Amino acid sequence: MAAASEGRKPCRAASLAIALAAVADLIWADPAWSGPITFNSAIVLAEGEFVVREQFVFNRSSEDPSGADRERESVGVISVLGYAVDRDFMLFGVLPYVENRLERTTDGERRARSARGVGDLRLFGRYTVLRKNWPGSTFRISPFAGVEAPTGEDDKSDAFGRQPASVQLGSGSWDPFGGLVLTYQTLDFQVDAAVSYQANTEANDFEFGDVARADASLQYRLWPRELAGGVPGFLYGVIETNLIHKDKNRTAGVDNPNSGGTTVFLVPGLQYVTKRWVFEAAVQLPVVQDLNGTALENDFIVRAGFRFNF
Amino acid sequence: MKTIRIALFLLALLAAPAWAAQIANVYNVGVDGLGCPFCVYGIEKELGSVEGVDKVDVDLKDGVVVVTMAGEATLDRDTAKKAVENAGFDLRSFERVSQE
Repeated sequence: MAAASEGRKPCRAASLAIALAAVADLIWADPAWSGPITFNSAIVLAEGEFVVREQFVFNRSSEDPSGADRERESVGVISVLGYAVDRDFMLFGVLPYVENRLERTTDGERRARSARGVGDLRLFGRYTVLRKNWPGSTFRISPFAGVEAPTGEDDKSDAFGRQPASVQLGSGSWDPFGGLVLTYQTLDFQVDAAVSYQANTEANDFEFGDVARADASLQYRLWPRELAGGVPGFLYGVIETNLIHKDKNRTAGVDNPNSGGTTVFLVPGLQYVTKRWVFEAAVQLPVVQDLNGTALENDFIVRAGFRFNF
Repeated sequence: MKTIRIALFLLALLAAPAWAAQIANVYNVGVDGLGCPFCVYGIEKELGSVEGVDKVDVDLKDGVVVVTMAGEATLDRDTAKKAVENAGFDLRSFERVSQE
């Protein structure tokens, strides 16, 4: 049953691994307010306040060491709703709408398969365990925990039959995750750092490898250079890093040697922050990709969107 | 002369309520933890929902929120502190600065 042991299966399994892992990447950008673009922040809204975030994501992978000339693209919009239960505790729901497309050459024939729809829903809570406020600055530490629910279809079919798991919209499994995020925010800059872990479980005889992440972000105020009175909009230059390690996927209890590995992204971006709105854009550039076997390498991930509080 | 004085006194009494209606209590609320524009909405919302508050103006640079009350309404320190803390910040100072 090992994917690596049956002819073309290694490629297929590698595609599957990268594609679904990419979906996981796509929805990982959890909400915050002004803060990191690719991960979470420790800042909590005012009691009873909501935040909505919409983020467009384009994720492309085409460096294929397997010889099957695989190309994968995932386009999606991630919708986030956050609610501040009180000054310390926030609840979030994150729902992606994605289109996954995978092309590969099999026996000289180029074949493309795709699926579009709602992905897996992430629900989690974040609680502030330490808050220090000073004039013009704040420091906060917040653990968070939640679950990724299998709301995305994992049994879609097309003219060729059942879609490969790499094209499916969801994992089919309930996957708990948790982590810790800290934020130091001043009027001139903000620093965020987070560690997190997602324990993926089995569904349909398949189990994604667990995912461990370490993220860091610096947002530096570029404009206005000098603060006057009132509440001007801030333009931030943003630089982030994401260290993402994925364990090997398992099919019928057997590790797929062409899945998992470690990727480091460098993420330059811009963010414009006002009282009610945040507009932001960034590109995740893989600077290190130490992947297992013939796993498909990522080219880049583009993110752009807005946040709104009410 | 006495008649004129009485007339002026009565006129002043009649004018007083209208004059008093123009008075508004204004408070400077010093807030710790305000670090970005997006934070401001929360504290505006919390202080703005306090009964009697007419206007909330934030000076982000100095971390000061100027609260203007409607009519003769007043704001006490405990109420301001609770509103500031509900928004996730800390009260640094509280003073009644003037009447408009």
